[in-house]
Amino acid sequence: MKNHFVNSRAWIAGLLAVTVLTADGLAQRSFESPVPERGPVPLDVRRTQYLDRVEEISQWRMGLFTPDKLDKMDMSAMSLMLMRGINIEACNDRVLEYMKEPGTGPFWMFPTTMVAYAGRDKLSAEARAAIREAWRTTRQLRGDTENHWVMYHTALYLMAQMYPNDPASSWANGLSSAENMIEGKGWLLDWMNLTTTIGQGEYNPTHYIGEYAIPMLMLATWAEDPAMRQRGKMMMDWLFAELATVTLDGMPRGPNSRTDDTSVVERWDALATYFSWQLFGNTPVGEGFRGWGWGNYFAVLAANYDVPEVIYEIATNRTKDILQHDQARSRRIWRYGDEHMRPIYKTQYLREDYAVGSHQGGISDPIQSHVWDVTWAVDDPRGVHNTMFSLHPHAAGKVMQMFFCTYPEPMPGGVTYEGKPSYNSSNKLLGCSPFEQVVQDHDTVVALYDIDPKEDFPQVNGFFSKDLAEVTEHASGWIFARGGKTYLAYRSLAAYQWEPHIRYPNGRDPTVTEETGGKILVSPHVKNGTILQAAGVEEFASFEDFQSAILALPLSFDLDTVPTVKLTTLRGSHIEFAYGSTPKINGAPVDYGDWKLFEGSHLNSEIGSRVLTITHGKLGRVLDFNTLSVTDMVLP
Amino acid sequence: MRLPQTRNLLTRNIRNWRATFALAGFGFLLPVLAVANDAYDFFICANVNRNYVIGSKIVTTNGLFQRDEAAGEWRHFGYNDTTISAMAFDPRDRNVIYTTTLNGIWRSLDGGESWRMTNSWDMTEGRDVEVDPHAPDTVYFALPDGVAVSTDRGQTWERRENGLPDRGKYTQTIAVDRTQEGRVLAGCEKGIFLSEDAGHNWSQVLPTETTVNDVQQSPHDPRRWLAATDTDGIWASGDGGETWMQEEGLPAEEAFYNVTFDPTDPQRLAVASWAYGVWTSEDAGKTWAARNAGLPDNARAWRVGVDPNSGRLYASIFEETLYYSDDFGRAWEPDALEGSLVNAFYFVSRDAPLLKP
Repeated sequence: MKNHFVNSRAWIAGLLAVTVLTADGLAQRSFESPVPERGPVPLDVRRTQYLDRVEEISQWRMGLFTPDKLDKMDMSAMSLMLMRGINIEACNDRVLEYMKEPGTGPFWMFPTTMVAYAGRDKLSAEARAAIREAWRTTRQLRGDTENHWVMYHTALYLMAQMYPNDPASSWANGLSSAENMIEGKGWLLDWMNLTTTIGQGEYNPTHYIGEYAIPMLMLATWAEDPAMRQRGKMMMDWLFAELATVTLDGMPRGPNSRTDDTSVVERWDALATYFSWQLFGNTPVGEGFRGWGWGNYFAVLAANYDVPEVIYEIATNRTKDILQHDQARSRRIWRYGDEHMRPIYKTQYLREDYAVGSHQGGISDPIQSHVWDVTWAVDDPRGVHNTMFSLHPHAAGKVMQMFFCTYPEPMPGGVTYEGKPSYNSSNKLLGCSPFEQVVQDHDTVVALYDIDPKEDFPQVNGFFSKDLAEVTEHASGWIFARGGKTYLAYRSLAAYQWEPHIRYPNGRDPTVTEETGGKILVSPHVKNGTILQAAGVEEFASFEDFQSAILALPLSFDLDTVPTVKLTTLRGSHIEFAYGSTPKINGAPVDYGDWKLFEGSHLNSEIGSRVLTITHGKLGRVLDFNTLSVTDMVLP
Repeated sequence: MRLPQTRNLLTRNIRNWRATFALAGFGFLLPVLAVANDAYDFFICANVNRNYVIGSKIVTTNGLFQRDEAAGEWRHFGYNDTTISAMAFDPRDRNVIYTTTLNGIWRSLDGGESWRMTNSWDMTEGRDVEVDPHAPDTVYFALPDGVAVSTDRGQTWERRENGLPDRGKYTQTIAVDRTQEGRVLAGCEKGIFLSEDAGHNWSQVLPTETTVNDVQQSPHDPRRWLAATDTDGIWASGDGGETWMQEEGLPAEEAFYNVTFDPTDPQRLAVASWAYGVWTSEDAGKTWAARNAGLPDNARAWRVGVDPNSGRLYASIFEETLYYSDDFGRAWEPDALEGSLVNAFYFVSRDAPLLKP
C-alpha cells in the first residue's frame, strides 16, 4: 500500500486541533479525565459541548491511524476522514483493501454504507466501484436479532437508494434496487410501527442502543425520502428519551432486555454509557470511547442530531423522583410459548441517589435479559459494582428454541464461547426464568420462585457487590447493607449460603474466571422468594434506625405450598403476592391490562397510538408517527 | 466461490438429465435400479465454519456440495452461505435450484450461477423446501412461523396455513408425497400435519409435545414414512402418513434430528441424535442398535444420510467432521469437511423418467 503520510506533520495537520492539551502535548481524553459535572449545563453551551465531544472522539479515532498504522484504519476512521475531506488517497487505498474480502452481515453492511455515503463525492471512481462490486458479489446475512435487522435493512435501503436504477443482476441477493428499497423500507416501517404501538423489543439495552441509533442517524442524514429522514430523527428521539429516563447519572440499569456478564454488575461499563456521555455529558466515558463498540460511527454523523432540550433535561436535571410504568415486548417467540411477542411490563423508580427497576418476570429473552435491580449512584462509577439483584439461574435448550431455529442441545454450551460465558453456570447472574415472578412498588421489589426441581440449577442467586458497605446478616433473616448513599435491606425467604463472585475476563472463554471480591448468595430451594427494600441514607438518622424501621414492618410469608408474601413497605404500601396470582398493592390487583405504552413522570403514550409525549418541567415534545410531526411546547 | 470443476460437473450431469425426478431427501427408484454406476447424484448442504456467529468473517466455503466419487471428494457449487438448511431441484430442469437459508429462500435458474432471494422480509429463517414432482411449479417453504407456497417456481409466495395452529406452527420440515399431487406432510411444533390440497387446508395426523424435526418417505414403499421428534422419539407410518406408531427399541427422551432410509436396502434405517448418536435398524425398524463405535465421544450426531449409489452411511458430527461407514455403522472413518455441520443430504436420480404413480 502506498504511504501517503511520509510526513507525519502533514498527517497531524490533516487532523483538526483538539482543545485541551496535557503536559506531553497530547489531548487529555475524556476517558482519562475526572468525572464530569452531572447537572445540566447552561443552554448556550450545551450544543457547543456536544459538538466538542463529537470532535474529541473523532480526533481520537482518526489519530489512532498514524502513517505507520494505515493498514489498521477501520471504516469509522475512514468515514470521519471522508466527511472532513482529508486523507482521501489513504481512504481510497484502504477501501480497495477492505473490499477484497468483504464481510457478510449487518456489521459489515452499515459501516460500508457509511463509507460509501461519506465518500460518495470524494472517493476515487475505483474505490467506489470496489464498494459497489462487493455488494454485487457478496451475500449478506440478515442476522438473527432485531438490532441486526435494523442495521441490515437500513444499509440495504440506503445502498439501493444510492444506485436507484440498477438491475437485479447487480445485487448479490438478486433483487433490483427498487426491490431492495421496498424490502428495506418494509421491514423498517414494521419495526417502527411495532415500537411505537406495543413497545421496543430490545428495550433498555446496555450495548445495543448503538445498533439502533446509528442506523436511524444514517437514515436521518442520507435518506432522500423526507418521510424516512423524519422517521430516522423521530426514532432517535424515541430511543434517547427512554435512555434519558432510565439511566442514573448516565448509567444504564435494570431491567434490561439484553446486557452481559460485565455490565450487569458494573452498570456503568456499557456502550449505552457512551451515548449518555455523547448526548448529555453526564457520565465518564469508557476507555477508548468504547472503541470496540459503535460510538465512533455515531460520531461520524452526530453533528446532524440536535439533542432536544426536554430529553437533555430528563437525563441531567433530576430534581424530582421519576416513576414510570411502561411496556415493551419480548423478542419474537417462534415456538414453545402462547404469545407471538410477550408484553413486558416495566416499573422504573429513580431517585437522586439510587434507582429501582423491574419487569414482571418470566421469559423475555433467551440469554441476556436482566429482570430487576437496585442501582446506586457513586461519585466515580468506573470499576464499581454498584448494584444488587437476584435471579433464578435458568439455562435451557428449550428456551433457545423459543427464539432461535435450533435444536435443544447445541446452544447452551455454544453461547458460552460467543460472549455469554456464564450461560450454563450455576452461579450466573444474567438471564430470566419462567419460574420467576416479580412485583415492584416504588423502591420495594418482591420476587417469588416456584422452580421446577428438574431444572439444572434449582436455586436463587443474589448478587452482593464488593462495593457494598456495612453488610450485616441480621438474626431475623434480613441482610442490611449500604451502597453509596443508599440503605439496602435484602431478604432471602429460604436458607442460603455464600459463594465468591467471579468474572470472566475473556467473554469468549468460560473456563477463565477471576474472583472479584464480591459474593453470591445461593439459596438452593425451589420454593423461594426475595425481598428488596431501598431507601436514601438521608431518610434515617442512622443505619441502625434504617434496620429498626425494616424490622418493625409487618411481614409474613409461606413457602410450603405456593410461595406467598404479605408485607408493608417502608413507604407504607401493602403488598400481597402469591406465585401464580396477580399481585395486589394496597388491596388493588396490579392490572397489567390497563398499562399504557408509557405512563409516568416524563414519558407518556397510549398503546397503539404511535404518539409519545415527552415532558420535563415546562418543556414538552410530542412525537407523532401518524403525521410524522414533532411538536415542541411549553407547558403551563 | 464456486470451485472451477463445479461447472463442468453440473453441466455433465445436466446433460444426462433429460427428464429426471428429483426428491429432496430420497431417490425415487426401487432398489433394483439403485445399483452401481452411480445412478444418482448425491448432495449435501453444509456449514463448514465452526463457531461462526453473525458478524464474523466467513473464511471457509459453505453451502451446496456434490459428491464426486471419482475424485473421492465433495465439490462446492452455488453461493457461499453458512446458513443453508435445505435444497430442492425442479425435477424438469436441474438448473432450477431452491435453497432455504437464514435470509429466507434463494432460487437459481441457471444451475447455481446466479441466485435471487425470492421471499420478503416477513418470511425468513427458512427451514425446508420441497417441490411437488407432479406439479413442479409448486414449491413448499417451511418457515418458523408456518408454511408458504409458491405456484410460480418460487417467484412469489403466499401463506397457506389453514388448519395449522396459530401457536404451534413452527415448521421444521416439509415433505411432498410423491404418489399424489398436492399431498404434503409438515413437521411442526405441535405434530405432523397433512394437506391433500397443496397446503390450502391442513389436519393434524400426529400430535406431539415438541417439534417434529424430520419427516421422510421411504424410497422403497411410498406408504411408509418415518419421523423424528424433539422429545417424542421416532415414529413410523405405514399408510402414507395417515396414522403413526412410535418406534420401539429406541430411546425417546432426547431429541432426534433426522431419519434416513437406505435407498439400496429397504431393511436399513438410520437416525441421528445429539444425545444418542447414530442408531440403525437392519430389519426395517423391528430392532435398533446404537452405532457409535469409532465416532467421537459424546457423538453429537447432527445428521445421517446414505449414499444411494453405494449404501455408504454418512454421519455429520457437530462441528467435527463428516464420517462414513461402509458397514452401516459398525465402523466409522473420518471423511472430509472438518468443522462442519451437514444440514441435509440429498440425492437425485440421473436417468429416471418422470413417472406418475
